[in-house]
Amino acid sequence: MALSKRKRAEYFRYSQYTLLVVAALVIAFFADWEQIRTAFFNFKTMGDMFPNVITIALKNTLIYTALGFAFGLALGLVLALMKLSSIAPYRWIATIYIEFFRGIPALLVFIGLAFGVPLAFQLQFDIYSTVMLALGIVGAAYMAETIRAGIQAVPKGQVEAARSLGMSQGRAMITIVIPQAFRIILPPLTNELILLTKDSSLIYIIGLARDQYELTKFGRETLSRSPSLTPILVVGLCYLIITLPLGYLSRYLERRSGGKKVSVL
Amino acid sequence: MSEISVEITGLKKSFGSLDVLKGLDVTVNRGDVVCIIGPSGSGKSTLLRCVNLLEEPNDGKIVVNGVELTDQDVDIDLARTKIGMVFQSFNLFSHLNVLANLTVAQRKVLKRGEKEAQEIALRNLERVGLLEKANSMPAQLSGGQQQRVAIARALSMDPDVMLFDEPTSALDPELVGDVLGVMRQLADEGMTMLVVTHEMQFAREVADKVIFMDGGYIVEEGPAAEVIGNPQEPRTQEFLARVLDPTHHGPSDPV
Ligand SMILES: Nc1ncnc2c1ncn2[C@@H]1O[C@H](COP(=O)(O)OP(=O)(O)OP(=O)(O)O)[C@@H](O)[C@H]1O
Ligand SMILES: [Mg+2]
Repeated sequence: MALSKRKRAEYFRYSQYTLLVVAALVIAFFADWEQIRTAFFNFKTMGDMFPNVITIALKNTLIYTALGFAFGLALGLVLALMKLSSIAPYRWIATIYIEFFRGIPALLVFIGLAFGVPLAFQLQFDIYSTVMLALGIVGAAYMAETIRAGIQAVPKGQVEAARSLGMSQGRAMITIVIPQAFRIILPPLTNELILLTKDSSLIYIIGLARDQYELTKFGRETLSRSPSLTPILVVGLCYLIITLPLGYLSRYLERRSGGKKVSVL
Repeated sequence: MSEISVEITGLKKSFGSLDVLKGLDVTVNRGDVVCIIGPSGSGKSTLLRCVNLLEEPNDGKIVVNGVELTDQDVDIDLARTKIGMVFQSFNLFSHLNVLANLTVAQRKVLKRGEKEAQEIALRNLERVGLLEKANSMPAQLSGGQQQRVAIARALSMDPDVMLFDEPTSALDPELVGDVLGVMRQLADEGMTMLVVTHEMQFAREVADKVIFMDGGYIVEEGPAAEVIGNPQEPRTQEFLARVLDPTHHGPSDPV
Protein backbone atom coordinates (compact mmCIF):
# COMPACT_ATOMS: atom_id res chain seq x y z
CA MET A 1 0.00 0.00 0.00
CA ALA A 2 1.44 3.36 -1.01
CA LEU A 3 1.91 5.89 1.75
CA SER A 4 -0.11 9.09 1.68
CA LYS A 5 1.76 12.32 1.13
CA ARG A 6 1.22 13.41 4.69
CA LYS A 7 2.41 10.09 6.12
CA ARG A 8 5.54 10.23 4.03
CA ALA A 9 6.31 13.74 5.27
CA GLU A 10 5.91 12.49 8.82
CA TYR A 11 8.34 9.58 8.32
CA PHE A 12 10.80 11.95 6.72
CA ARG A 13 10.64 14.23 9.75
CA TYR A 14 11.21 11.32 12.19
CA SER A 15 14.18 10.06 10.23
CA GLN A 16 15.75 13.54 10.38
CA TYR A 17 15.34 13.65 14.17
CA THR A 18 16.91 10.20 14.47
CA LEU A 19 19.84 11.29 12.38
CA LEU A 20 20.41 14.34 14.57
CA VAL A 21 20.31 12.29 17.78
CA VAL A 22 22.82 9.79 16.38
CA ALA A 23 25.14 12.59 15.32
CA ALA A 24 24.92 14.18 18.76
CA LEU A 25 25.72 10.83 20.43
CA VAL A 26 28.72 10.26 18.19
CA ILE A 27 30.09 13.72 18.96
CA ALA A 28 29.48 13.27 22.69
CA PHE A 29 31.21 9.89 22.66
CA PHE A 30 34.29 10.80 20.66
CA ALA A 31 34.82 14.39 21.76
CA ASP A 32 37.60 15.09 24.21
CA TRP A 33 35.56 16.89 26.82
CA GLU A 34 38.49 17.72 29.02
CA GLN A 35 40.21 19.31 26.04
CA ILE A 36 37.14 21.33 25.17
CA ARG A 37 36.61 22.43 28.75
CA THR A 38 40.14 23.80 29.07
CA ALA A 39 39.93 25.37 25.63
CA PHE A 40 36.66 27.23 26.11
CA PHE A 41 35.85 27.21 29.83
CA ASN A 42 39.04 27.98 31.63
CA PHE A 43 37.51 29.22 34.84
CA LYS A 44 40.69 30.84 36.09
CA THR A 45 41.01 32.91 32.93
CA MET A 46 37.37 33.80 33.22
CA GLY A 47 37.83 34.94 36.77
CA ASP A 48 40.85 37.03 35.83
CA MET A 49 38.87 38.85 33.16
CA PHE A 50 36.35 40.17 35.66
CA PRO A 51 35.53 42.86 36.49
CA ASN A 52 37.57 44.66 33.79
CA VAL A 53 35.75 43.02 30.92
CA ILE A 54 32.64 44.80 32.14
CA THR A 55 33.91 48.00 33.74
CA ILE A 56 36.37 48.81 30.96
CA ALA A 57 35.77 46.77 27.81
CA LEU A 58 31.97 46.54 27.71
CA LYS A 59 31.68 50.13 28.85
CA ASN A 60 34.04 51.37 26.14
CA THR A 61 32.27 49.35 23.45
CA LEU A 62 29.04 51.06 24.48
CA ILE A 63 30.65 54.51 24.49
CA TYR A 64 32.37 54.07 21.12
CA THR A 65 29.19 52.71 19.54
CA ALA A 66 27.05 55.51 20.98
CA LEU A 67 29.45 58.18 19.71
CA GLY A 68 29.61 56.64 16.25
CA PHE A 69 25.85 56.15 16.09
CA ALA A 70 25.11 59.73 17.14
CA PHE A 71 27.51 61.20 14.60
CA GLY A 72 26.36 58.76 11.91
CA LEU A 73 22.71 59.61 12.53
CA ALA A 74 23.34 63.33 12.20
CA LEU A 75 25.45 62.91 9.08
CA GLY A 76 23.00 60.36 7.68
CA LEU A 77 20.15 62.84 8.11
CA VAL A 78 22.11 65.51 6.25
CA LEU A 79 22.89 63.05 3.46
CA ALA A 80 19.25 61.94 3.25
CA LEU A 81 18.12 65.55 2.92
CA MET A 82 20.79 66.15 0.28
CA LYS A 83 19.58 63.11 -1.61
CA LEU A 84 16.05 64.52 -1.61
CA SER A 85 17.21 68.03 -2.48
CA SER A 86 16.03 69.79 -5.61
CA ILE A 87 19.63 70.90 -6.16
CA ALA A 88 21.23 68.28 -8.37
CA PRO A 89 24.86 68.59 -7.16
CA TYR A 90 23.69 67.88 -3.60
CA ARG A 91 22.06 64.70 -4.82
CA TRP A 92 25.22 63.69 -6.68
CA ILE A 93 27.48 64.30 -3.69
CA ALA A 94 25.19 62.30 -1.42
CA THR A 95 24.94 59.43 -3.88
CA ILE A 96 28.70 59.25 -4.38
CA TYR A 97 29.28 59.36 -0.64
CA ILE A 98 26.75 56.63 0.06
CA GLU A 99 27.92 54.31 -2.71
CA PHE A 100 31.58 54.83 -1.78
CA PHE A 101 31.35 54.15 1.93
CA ARG A 102 28.87 51.31 1.56
CA GLY A 103 31.15 49.73 -0.97
CA ILE A 104 34.42 49.62 0.94
CA PRO A 105 35.25 47.66 4.12
CA ALA A 106 34.81 49.68 7.29
CA LEU A 107 38.34 48.60 8.26
CA LEU A 108 39.75 50.79 5.47
CA VAL A 109 37.98 53.82 6.94
CA PHE A 110 39.50 53.10 10.34
CA ILE A 111 42.97 52.73 8.83
CA GLY A 112 42.53 55.88 6.78
CA LEU A 113 41.45 57.92 9.79
CA ALA A 114 43.96 56.48 12.21
CA PHE A 115 47.02 56.52 9.95
CA GLY A 116 46.23 58.25 6.65
CA VAL A 117 44.69 61.50 7.85
CA PRO A 118 47.39 62.24 10.46
CA LEU A 119 50.05 61.75 7.78
CA ALA A 120 48.28 63.73 5.11
CA PHE A 121 46.98 66.65 7.13
CA GLN A 122 49.16 66.73 10.23
CA LEU A 123 45.97 66.18 12.21
CA GLN A 124 45.98 64.02 15.30
CA PHE A 125 42.61 62.83 16.56
CA ASP A 126 42.19 61.45 20.04
CA ILE A 127 40.79 57.96 20.31
CA TYR A 128 37.19 59.04 20.86
CA SER A 129 37.15 61.33 17.84
CA THR A 130 38.69 58.63 15.67
CA VAL A 131 36.05 56.05 16.58
CA MET A 132 33.26 58.56 16.37
CA LEU A 133 34.34 59.72 12.91
CA ALA A 134 35.15 56.28 11.53
CA LEU A 135 32.01 54.54 12.78
CA GLY A 136 29.89 57.59 11.99
CA ILE A 137 31.21 57.95 8.44
CA VAL A 138 30.45 54.31 7.69
CA GLY A 139 27.14 54.23 9.59
CA ALA A 140 25.94 57.43 7.91
CA ALA A 141 26.19 55.82 4.49
CA TYR A 142 23.81 53.07 5.53
CA MET A 143 21.51 55.22 7.66
CA ALA A 144 21.13 57.88 4.96
CA GLU A 145 19.27 55.47 2.71
CA THR A 146 17.08 54.32 5.59
CA ILE A 147 16.26 57.88 6.64
CA ARG A 148 15.54 58.86 3.04
CA ALA A 149 13.12 55.97 2.69
CA GLY A 150 11.47 56.99 5.97
CA ILE A 151 11.04 60.60 4.88
CA GLN A 152 9.49 59.45 1.61
CA ALA A 153 7.14 57.12 3.49
CA VAL A 154 5.50 60.07 5.28
CA PRO A 155 2.23 60.76 3.42
CA LYS A 156 2.31 63.82 1.14
CA GLY A 157 -0.84 65.15 2.79
CA GLN A 158 1.13 65.79 5.98
CA VAL A 159 3.38 68.28 4.21
CA GLU A 160 0.43 69.86 2.42
CA ALA A 161 -1.39 70.35 5.71
CA ALA A 162 1.72 71.89 7.24
CA ARG A 163 2.31 74.19 4.28
CA SER A 164 -1.35 75.25 4.24
CA LEU A 165 -0.94 76.36 7.86
CA GLY A 166 1.87 78.67 6.78
CA MET A 167 4.87 76.52 7.63
CA SER A 168 7.85 76.94 5.34
CA GLN A 169 9.26 73.88 3.64
CA GLY A 170 12.09 73.61 6.18
CA ARG A 171 9.78 74.14 9.12
CA ALA A 172 7.41 71.45 7.85
CA MET A 173 10.35 69.09 7.40
CA ILE A 174 11.63 69.64 10.94
CA THR A 175 8.37 69.69 12.90
CA ILE A 176 6.19 67.33 10.89
CA VAL A 177 8.07 65.06 8.48
CA ILE A 178 11.26 64.10 10.30
CA PRO A 179 9.57 63.12 13.59
CA GLN A 180 7.17 60.89 11.68
CA ALA A 181 9.94 59.48 9.50
CA PHE A 182 11.94 58.45 12.55
CA ARG A 183 8.97 56.61 14.00
CA ILE A 184 8.73 54.64 10.80
CA ILE A 185 12.43 53.77 10.61
CA LEU A 186 13.07 52.98 14.26
CA PRO A 187 13.31 49.20 13.60
CA PRO A 188 15.91 49.44 10.80
CA LEU A 189 17.84 52.05 12.77
CA THR A 190 18.04 49.64 15.69
CA ASN A 191 19.48 47.05 13.34
CA GLU A 192 22.04 49.61 12.23
CA LEU A 193 22.99 50.11 15.86
CA ILE A 194 23.67 46.37 16.14
CA LEU A 195 25.96 46.47 13.13
CA LEU A 196 27.84 49.46 14.54
CA THR A 197 28.26 47.68 17.88
CA LYS A 198 30.11 44.93 16.08
CA ASP A 199 32.03 47.32 13.83
CA SER A 200 33.34 49.15 16.88
CA SER A 201 35.73 46.18 17.24
CA LEU A 202 37.72 47.52 14.28
CA ILE A 203 39.29 50.05 16.61
CA TYR A 204 41.73 47.25 17.53
CA ILE A 205 44.05 48.34 14.70
CA ILE A 206 44.79 51.56 16.57
CA GLY A 207 47.17 51.66 19.48
CA LEU A 208 45.06 51.81 22.62
CA ALA A 209 45.89 52.46 26.23
CA ARG A 210 44.68 49.75 28.61
CA ASP A 211 41.69 51.74 29.86
CA GLN A 212 40.62 52.43 26.27
CA TYR A 213 40.21 48.75 25.36
CA GLU A 214 36.89 47.70 24.01
CA LEU A 215 35.63 44.12 24.01
CA THR A 216 37.50 42.67 21.04
CA LYS A 217 40.81 44.29 21.88
CA PHE A 218 40.39 43.22 25.49
CA GLY A 219 39.66 39.66 24.38
CA ARG A 220 42.71 39.48 22.11
CA GLU A 221 44.93 40.93 24.80
CA THR A 222 43.78 38.34 27.34
CA LEU A 223 44.15 35.65 24.71
CA SER A 224 47.80 36.51 24.12
CA ARG A 225 48.51 35.93 27.81
CA SER A 226 46.37 32.84 28.37
CA PRO A 227 46.19 30.64 25.31
CA SER A 228 42.70 29.25 25.51
CA LEU A 229 39.58 30.30 23.67
CA THR A 230 37.94 31.33 26.92
CA PRO A 231 38.50 35.09 26.48
CA ILE A 232 36.92 34.96 23.05
CA LEU A 233 33.91 33.16 24.45
CA VAL A 234 33.56 35.70 27.25
CA VAL A 235 33.70 38.79 25.02
CA GLY A 236 31.41 37.07 22.54
CA LEU A 237 28.85 36.70 25.30
CA CYS A 238 29.36 40.35 26.20
CA TYR A 239 28.50 41.39 22.64
CA LEU A 240 25.38 39.27 22.84
CA ILE A 241 24.39 41.06 26.03
CA ILE A 242 24.22 44.22 23.91
CA THR A 243 22.98 42.91 20.59
CA LEU A 244 20.32 40.39 21.61
CA PRO A 245 18.16 42.94 23.46
CA LEU A 246 18.59 45.38 20.56
CA GLY A 247 17.46 42.74 18.12
CA TYR A 248 14.49 42.01 20.32
CA LEU A 249 13.72 45.72 20.57
CA SER A 250 13.90 46.05 16.80
CA ARG A 251 11.44 43.21 16.25
CA TYR A 252 9.16 44.61 18.94
CA LEU A 253 9.14 48.07 17.33
CA GLU A 254 8.46 46.51 13.97
CA ARG A 255 5.48 44.59 15.34
CA ARG A 256 4.17 47.66 17.10
CA SER A 257 4.28 49.70 13.90
CA GLY A 258 2.05 47.04 12.37
CA GLY A 259 4.91 45.51 10.42
CA LYS A 260 4.76 48.48 8.07
CA LYS A 261 7.80 47.91 5.90
CA VAL A 262 9.87 50.72 4.52
CA SER A 263 11.63 49.94 1.31
CA VAL A 264 15.26 50.93 1.32
CA LEU A 265 16.63 51.63 -2.16
CA MET B 1 -11.13 96.32 3.44
CA SER B 2 -12.87 95.54 0.24
CA GLU B 3 -16.01 93.49 -0.04
CA ILE B 4 -14.26 90.93 -2.21
CA SER B 5 -12.40 88.16 -0.41
CA VAL B 6 -11.11 85.97 -3.25
CA GLU B 7 -10.71 87.15 -6.80
CA ILE B 8 -9.44 84.80 -9.48
CA THR B 9 -9.01 85.97 -13.05
CA GLY B 10 -7.92 83.99 -16.10
CA LEU B 11 -6.61 81.06 -14.05
CA LYS B 12 -4.91 78.37 -16.11
CA LYS B 13 -3.21 75.25 -14.84
CA SER B 14 -1.85 72.23 -16.62
CA PHE B 15 0.03 69.14 -15.53
CA GLY B 16 2.46 68.42 -18.32
CA SER B 17 0.39 68.27 -21.46
CA LEU B 18 -2.87 67.89 -19.54
CA ASP B 19 -4.78 71.19 -19.39
CA VAL B 20 -6.82 70.99 -16.21
CA LEU B 21 -7.95 74.60 -15.75
CA LYS B 22 -8.47 76.46 -19.00
CA GLY B 23 -9.13 80.02 -17.90
CA LEU B 24 -11.36 80.56 -14.87
CA ASP B 25 -12.76 83.65 -13.23
CA VAL B 26 -14.09 83.28 -9.71
CA THR B 27 -15.14 85.94 -7.23
CA VAL B 28 -15.99 85.24 -3.61
CA ASN B 29 -17.46 88.07 -1.58
CA ARG B 30 -16.56 88.51 2.04
CA GLY B 31 -18.78 86.38 4.26
CA ASP B 32 -20.13 84.34 1.38
CA VAL B 33 -20.20 80.58 0.95
CA VAL B 34 -19.38 79.45 -2.57
CA CYS B 35 -19.84 75.79 -3.44
CA ILE B 36 -18.04 74.21 -6.37
CA ILE B 37 -19.64 71.16 -7.93
CA GLY B 38 -18.79 69.12 -10.97
CA PRO B 39 -17.84 65.66 -12.19
CA SER B 40 -14.70 63.83 -11.11
CA GLY B 41 -11.58 65.09 -12.84
CA SER B 42 -13.11 68.43 -13.79
CA GLY B 43 -10.42 70.30 -11.84
CA LYS B 44 -12.27 71.26 -8.66
CA SER B 45 -9.45 70.25 -6.32
CA THR B 46 -6.88 71.85 -8.58
CA LEU B 47 -8.80 75.13 -8.51
CA LEU B 48 -9.03 75.05 -4.73
CA ARG B 49 -5.35 74.17 -4.36
CA CYS B 50 -4.42 77.11 -6.57
CA VAL B 51 -6.17 79.47 -4.15
CA ASN B 52 -3.47 78.85 -1.53
CA LEU B 53 -0.81 78.03 -4.09
CA LEU B 54 -0.44 74.38 -3.16
CA GLU B 55 -0.50 74.21 -6.95
CA GLU B 56 1.39 76.84 -8.90
CA PRO B 57 -0.88 78.36 -11.59
CA ASN B 58 0.50 78.59 -15.11
CA ASP B 59 -1.36 81.77 -15.85
CA GLY B 60 -3.85 84.17 -14.32
CA LYS B 61 -4.13 86.23 -11.19
CA ILE B 62 -5.24 85.23 -7.69
CA VAL B 63 -5.94 87.88 -5.09
CA VAL B 64 -6.99 86.89 -1.58
CA ASN B 65 -7.97 89.66 0.80
CA GLY B 66 -6.03 92.22 -1.13
CA VAL B 67 -2.84 90.17 -1.39
CA GLU B 68 -1.91 89.04 -4.87
CA LEU B 69 -0.63 85.49 -4.39
CA THR B 70 0.52 85.21 -7.98
CA ASP B 71 2.95 88.07 -7.40
CA GLN B 72 6.48 86.61 -7.42
CA ASP B 73 7.50 88.62 -4.36
CA VAL B 74 4.62 87.64 -2.11
CA ASP B 75 5.40 85.97 1.23
CA ILE B 76 3.35 82.87 0.52
CA ASP B 77 3.84 81.37 3.99
CA LEU B 78 2.45 84.51 5.58
CA ALA B 79 -0.46 84.61 3.12
CA ARG B 80 -1.32 80.97 3.81
CA THR B 81 -1.77 81.64 7.53
CA LYS B 82 -4.85 83.65 6.54
CA ILE B 83 -6.24 80.90 4.28
CA GLY B 84 -7.50 77.82 6.12
CA MET B 85 -7.61 74.55 4.24
CA VAL B 86 -9.52 71.35 5.03
CA PHE B 87 -8.66 68.20 3.09
CA GLN B 88 -10.68 65.21 2.03
CA SER B 89 -8.30 62.93 3.92
CA PHE B 90 -8.13 65.13 7.08
CA ASN B 91 -4.31 65.10 7.21
CA LEU B 92 -4.04 65.53 10.96
CA PHE B 93 -0.43 65.32 12.11
CA SER B 94 -0.36 61.70 13.17
CA HIS B 95 2.50 62.03 15.68
CA LEU B 96 0.85 64.86 17.63
CA ASN B 97 -2.19 64.76 19.87
CA VAL B 98 -5.25 66.85 19.09
CA LEU B 99 -4.19 69.84 21.16
CA ALA B 100 -0.70 69.87 19.65
CA ASN B 101 -2.22 69.61 16.17
CA LEU B 102 -4.03 72.84 16.92
CA THR B 103 -1.13 74.66 18.57
CA VAL B 104 1.93 73.67 16.54
CA ALA B 105 1.44 76.16 13.70
CA GLN B 106 0.22 78.88 16.07
CA ARG B 107 3.46 78.51 18.00
CA LYS B 108 5.93 77.95 15.18
CA VAL B 109 4.41 80.20 12.53
CA LEU B 110 2.43 82.89 14.35
CA LYS B 111 4.87 82.79 17.29
CA ARG B 112 2.07 82.81 19.82
CA GLY B 113 2.94 81.93 23.40
CA GLU B 114 2.05 78.48 24.68
CA LYS B 115 -0.74 79.68 26.94
CA GLU B 116 -2.38 81.84 24.31
CA ALA B 117 -2.11 79.11 21.67
CA GLN B 118 -3.72 76.58 23.98
CA GLU B 119 -6.56 78.91 24.89
CA ILE B 120 -7.30 79.53 21.23
CA ALA B 121 -7.03 75.83 20.47
CA LEU B 122 -9.44 74.84 23.23
CA ARG B 123 -11.89 77.52 22.18
CA ASN B 124 -11.91 76.15 18.65
CA LEU B 125 -12.18 72.56 19.83
CA GLU B 126 -15.26 73.64 21.71
CA ARG B 127 -16.66 75.21 18.55
CA VAL B 128 -16.48 71.84 16.79
CA GLY B 129 -17.77 70.00 19.86
CA LEU B 130 -14.63 68.02 20.67
CA LEU B 131 -13.25 69.69 23.77
CA GLU B 132 -13.03 66.33 25.56
CA LYS B 133 -10.73 64.94 22.82
CA ALA B 134 -7.94 67.47 23.42
CA ASN B 135 -5.52 64.80 24.62
CA SER B 136 -6.44 62.04 22.16
CA MET B 137 -4.22 60.96 19.30
CA PRO B 138 -5.67 61.33 15.79
CA ALA B 139 -5.71 57.56 15.27
CA GLN B 140 -8.08 57.22 18.23
CA LEU B 141 -10.74 59.40 16.59
CA SER B 142 -13.43 58.56 14.08
CA GLY B 143 -13.20 60.08 10.63
CA GLY B 144 -15.86 62.63 11.46
CA GLN B 145 -14.05 63.64 14.61
CA GLN B 146 -10.74 63.89 12.76
CA GLN B 147 -12.27 66.16 10.18
CA ARG B 148 -13.77 68.42 12.85
CA VAL B 149 -10.35 68.60 14.52
CA ALA B 150 -8.88 69.52 11.14
CA ILE B 151 -11.43 72.33 10.87
CA ALA B 152 -10.58 73.52 14.38
CA ARG B 153 -6.88 73.40 13.49
CA ALA B 154 -7.44 75.68 10.50
CA LEU B 155 -9.66 78.00 12.56
CA SER B 156 -6.96 78.35 15.21
CA MET B 157 -4.92 80.42 12.77
CA ASP B 158 -7.76 83.00 12.57
CA PRO B 159 -8.14 82.68 8.80
CA ASP B 160 -10.02 85.18 6.67
CA VAL B 161 -11.22 82.50 4.30
CA MET B 162 -11.60 78.74 4.52
CA LEU B 163 -11.14 76.24 1.70
CA PHE B 164 -12.82 72.83 1.93
CA ASP B 165 -11.98 70.05 -0.55
CA GLU B 166 -14.74 67.44 -0.35
CA PRO B 167 -14.54 67.41 3.45
CA THR B 168 -17.14 64.67 3.85
CA SER B 169 -16.30 62.38 0.94
CA ALA B 170 -14.10 60.06 3.00
CA LEU B 171 -16.63 59.72 5.81
CA ASP B 172 -19.12 57.00 6.68
CA PRO B 173 -22.60 58.33 5.88
CA GLU B 174 -23.68 58.61 9.50
CA LEU B 175 -20.71 60.89 10.29
CA VAL B 176 -21.27 63.34 7.45
CA GLY B 177 -23.91 65.27 9.35
CA ASP B 178 -21.59 66.27 12.20
CA VAL B 179 -19.06 67.81 9.84
CA LEU B 180 -21.67 69.56 7.72
CA GLY B 181 -23.21 70.87 10.92
CA VAL B 182 -19.93 72.48 11.93
CA MET B 183 -19.54 73.99 8.47
CA ARG B 184 -23.08 75.32 8.52
CA GLN B 185 -22.41 76.94 11.88
CA LEU B 186 -19.22 78.52 10.49
CA ALA B 187 -21.19 79.88 7.56
CA ASP B 188 -23.77 81.34 9.93
CA GLU B 189 -20.98 83.06 11.85
CA GLY B 190 -20.00 84.83 8.64
CA MET B 191 -16.91 82.90 7.60
CA THR B 192 -15.95 83.24 3.95
CA MET B 193 -15.90 79.71 2.54
CA LEU B 194 -15.01 78.07 -0.74
CA VAL B 195 -16.30 74.50 -0.67
CA VAL B 196 -15.84 71.67 -3.15
CA THR B 197 -18.63 69.24 -2.38
CA HIS B 198 -20.95 66.56 -3.65
CA GLU B 199 -23.45 67.33 -0.87
CA MET B 200 -26.18 69.00 -2.95
CA GLN B 201 -28.46 69.47 0.04
CA PHE B 202 -25.73 71.42 1.84
CA ALA B 203 -24.99 73.50 -1.25
CA ARG B 204 -28.67 74.25 -1.76
CA GLU B 205 -29.20 75.38 1.82
CA VAL B 206 -25.94 77.11 2.69
CA ALA B 207 -24.31 78.38 -0.49
CA ASP B 208 -24.70 81.99 -1.58
CA LYS B 209 -23.34 80.92 -4.95
CA VAL B 210 -22.86 77.60 -6.71
CA ILE B 211 -20.29 77.06 -9.44
CA PHE B 212 -20.61 74.10 -11.79
CA MET B 213 -17.30 73.10 -13.38
CA ASP B 214 -16.69 70.69 -16.21
CA GLY B 215 -13.69 70.06 -18.42
CA GLY B 216 -11.61 72.86 -16.94
CA TYR B 217 -14.21 75.57 -17.46
CA ILE B 218 -16.96 77.11 -15.36
CA VAL B 219 -20.08 75.98 -17.16
CA GLU B 220 -22.68 77.65 -15.00
CA GLU B 221 -22.76 79.73 -11.84
CA GLY B 222 -25.31 81.57 -9.78
CA PRO B 223 -27.53 81.25 -6.71
CA ALA B 224 -28.03 77.68 -5.50
CA ALA B 225 -31.73 77.77 -6.28
CA GLU B 226 -30.94 78.45 -9.92
CA VAL B 227 -27.87 76.28 -10.59
CA ILE B 228 -29.11 73.29 -8.61
CA GLY B 229 -32.85 73.98 -8.65
CA ASN B 230 -33.21 75.07 -12.25
CA PRO B 231 -30.01 74.47 -14.26
CA GLN B 232 -29.87 75.99 -17.74
CA GLU B 233 -26.89 74.20 -19.28
CA PRO B 234 -27.38 70.63 -20.53
CA ARG B 235 -24.14 69.51 -18.91
CA THR B 236 -25.27 70.82 -15.53
CA GLN B 237 -28.64 69.16 -15.94
CA GLU B 238 -27.03 65.85 -16.82
CA PHE B 239 -24.57 66.03 -13.92
CA LEU B 240 -27.26 66.90 -11.39
CA ALA B 241 -29.54 64.18 -12.66
CA ARG B 242 -26.73 61.71 -12.14
CA VAL B 243 -25.84 62.99 -8.66
CA LEU B 244 -29.37 63.43 -7.38
CA ASP B 245 -30.68 60.14 -8.74
CA PRO B 246 -27.65 57.88 -9.13
CA THR B 247 -29.53 54.60 -9.56
CA HIS B 248 -31.07 55.68 -12.85
CA HIS B 249 -28.08 57.36 -14.36
CA GLY B 250 -24.97 55.28 -13.74
CA PRO B 251 -21.94 56.40 -15.75
CA SER B 252 -21.93 53.13 -17.68
CA ASP B 253 -25.69 53.15 -18.14
CA PRO B 254 -26.38 53.81 -21.82
CA VAL B 255 -30.15 54.40 -21.37
N1 LIG C 1 -0.34 66.53 -9.37
C1 LIG C 1 -0.94 66.13 -10.52
N2 LIG C 1 -0.20 65.66 -11.55
C2 LIG C 1 -0.78 65.26 -12.70
N3 LIG C 1 -2.08 65.32 -12.93
C3 LIG C 1 -2.89 65.78 -11.94
C4 LIG C 1 -2.36 66.21 -10.70
N4 LIG C 1 -3.37 66.62 -9.91
C5 LIG C 1 -4.49 66.45 -10.65
N5 LIG C 1 -4.21 65.96 -11.86
C6 LIG C 1 -5.18 65.68 -12.93
O1 LIG C 1 -5.94 66.84 -13.14
C7 LIG C 1 -7.30 66.53 -13.38
C8 LIG C 1 -8.19 67.27 -12.42
O2 LIG C 1 -7.93 66.79 -11.12
P1 LIG C 1 -8.70 67.33 -9.85
O3 LIG C 1 -8.19 66.56 -8.68
O4 LIG C 1 -8.60 68.80 -9.79
O5 LIG C 1 -10.19 66.91 -10.18
P2 LIG C 1 -11.46 66.99 -9.23
O6 LIG C 1 -12.48 67.77 -9.95
O7 LIG C 1 -11.08 67.45 -7.88
O8 LIG C 1 -11.93 65.48 -9.19
P3 LIG C 1 -12.54 64.64 -7.97
O9 LIG C 1 -13.98 64.98 -7.88
O10 LIG C 1 -12.34 63.22 -8.39
O11 LIG C 1 -11.78 65.00 -6.75
C9 LIG C 1 -7.42 65.01 -13.29
O12 LIG C 1 -7.40 64.49 -14.59
C10 LIG C 1 -6.18 64.61 -12.54
O13 LIG C 1 -5.76 63.34 -12.93
MG1 LIG D 1 -10.92 66.54 -5.94
